[in-house]
Amino acid sequence: MSQSTVSCLPPKMSKAKKVLDEARETGECELDLVEKGLVSFEELPGLFNMSNITRLTLSHNKISLINPGIANLLNLEILNLSNNQLRELPVSLSSMPKLRILNVCINRLDNLPRGFGAFPVLEVLDLSYNNLNEQVLPGNFFGMETLRALYLGDNDFEYLPKEVGQLKNLQILGLRDNDLLELPREVGDLARLRELHIQNNRLQVLPPEVAQLDLLSNKSVMKMEENPWVNPIAEQYLLGISHVIEYLKTDTYKIIYNRHMQGGRSGPPPPKADKSKKASRVRA
Amino acid sequence: MMYSKAEVVQAINMSLGAMHCTRCADGFEPNEKIVNSNGELWHTQCFVCAQCFRPFQDGIFYEFEGRKYCERDFHVLFAPCCNKCGEFVIGRVIKAMSASWHPQCFRCQLCAKELADSGFIRNQNRALCHECNAKVKAEITGRYVCQKCHGLIDEEPLRFRGEVYHGYHFNCTACGTELDSTAREVKSRPGLAANDMNELYCLRCHDKMGIPICGACRRPIEERVVTALGKHWHVEHFVCAKCEKPFLGHRHYEKRGLAYCETHYHQLFGNLCFVCNQVIAGDVFTALNKAWCVHHFACSVCDTKMTQKSKFYEYDEKPVCKKCYDRFPNELRRRLRDAHENTMKKNV
Repeated sequence: MSQSTVSCLPPKMSKAKKVLDEARETGECELDLVEKGLVSFEELPGLFNMSNITRLTLSHNKISLINPGIANLLNLEILNLSNNQLRELPVSLSSMPKLRILNVCINRLDNLPRGFGAFPVLEVLDLSYNNLNEQVLPGNFFGMETLRALYLGDNDFEYLPKEVGQLKNLQILGLRDNDLLELPREVGDLARLRELHIQNNRLQVLPPEVAQLDLLSNKSVMKMEENPWVNPIAEQYLLGISHVIEYLKTDTYKIIYNRHMQGGRSGPPPPKADKSKKASRVRA
Repeated sequence: MMYSKAEVVQAINMSLGAMHCTRCADGFEPNEKIVNSNGELWHTQCFVCAQCFRPFQDGIFYEFEGRKYCERDFHVLFAPCCNKCGEFVIGRVIKAMSASWHPQCFRCQLCAKELADSGFIRNQNRALCHECNAKVKAEITGRYVCQKCHGLIDEEPLRFRGEVYHGYHFNCTACGTELDSTAREVKSRPGLAANDMNELYCLRCHDKMGIPICGACRRPIEERVVTALGKHWHVEHFVCAKCEKPFLGHRHYEKRGLAYCETHYHQLFGNLCFVCNQVIAGDVFTALNKAWCVHHFACSVCDTKMTQKSKFYEYDEKPVCKKCYDRFPNELRRRLRDAHENTMKKNV
């Protein structure tokens, strides 16, 4: 990497460039570029040639577009773009051979590229606080078999595709603050699930299969408050999560659930509070 | 073999007409010296060795088949010669192996034990003691010799403290029943390592005490035994305490007296780092139902390392440092705060 002499640099060399230069000198594999006022990858010259780096953290910047060249970082394992202004992601991300953790929470994504689910080894995917819903999920989204944690909180899902049951290794499913009207029975197939966040949705019932999950161990988390639950569930919830789970196993509940799903009840609960104030809604 | 001493008497008061010499049958002259030996009378010239015709020295003679011999001729003619040392045998003669022996000269040809009183066995023209004979015979036939009775063992031997025996010499330590070759030697019981502390039990008693009992089903284990958690287990009964699947030789993890498969051990006890998903070897940070290794315990938004003392906010059950939390959209922060307060209220 040939760099011109220091005297030739603009008088105010960006802090980000300094970080890159230092990393090149020391061979550092983890790059921290948090809150550097970055708008674009153009401000990080030569970054894509630093194929040795394993972690790239760009939180709290103003980046709206990821250059597809990022896929040149063949050793990258952790990519953190929390709190930026991303409107879309390049499909090239999904081909990164070692990417295990992708954090794009608090951005402005309202779609995902076709073929997004092709990540070979992705384990943690944080898409929380964006503008996603079931309509924009690409067909292979639930083909990410290696996924351990999927955060979809603070989005606009009304339904979760039943294909979610294919995520055999999923341990954490975050669906907090969406518009979910129901959960698919296939959630019960997620044998390793130990965290289920469904608080603040429009759920009235839970599929009885949820009771198959191991949500009561000392390492488990079940968050389900702030939903318009049918009375029997709401009553059990007041007693505790374990009472809800036990209740879901009863024949009485199965009847209630089936009747509910056949649409005997009045229409779906109204949407929650106005979301127009969300930062993810801001238009450029 | 005996010798006698004759008496010489003067024939004075006896009625000479009734007396005659045992050898020549003639009478005796008055005042003639007469030899009296066990009531038989002799002329002094007739009372001589049947071989050399000389008088007996000191009157000592040896009698054999009605004839009397002097000591020398008797020995020459009749006394046995020891087959070992070649000397005459005086006193007790051992007649064996078609020869005569001094008692102290007749010994086992293998172990040289005196055989006069214990008896012997002829083995390939050798005189052997019972023990050596049994050993030799056992070597030839491939059979064992009981170390107690030295007899051959026809069936399977009972092995005990490194030797072989007839089973019937022993009784079960527990129930006292007579043993056979199926008896079991219980070796080095806890605290007793020495061989001579070993004990014998019949199969029945041994089964009761020695056969491992499965820690799960409490039944004896006839086949492969798994030993873990200080107990024995049937292979198919040694299972994960969580999913109850048998380990079948796969690695298991122990915690508080229970065994777990790798998956459930880490699931239950959180020893996989949430970031690198590797087993945590060193110090473990635990928070929000998760664990982190020292290298990866960091703010989930800016990846800045945190320590045990760091304060953090919870966002979807992930740690967020204050600096990042302050940079969250106001609207999000407000909702998170409200949700938190609601939860607190509910818990009160």
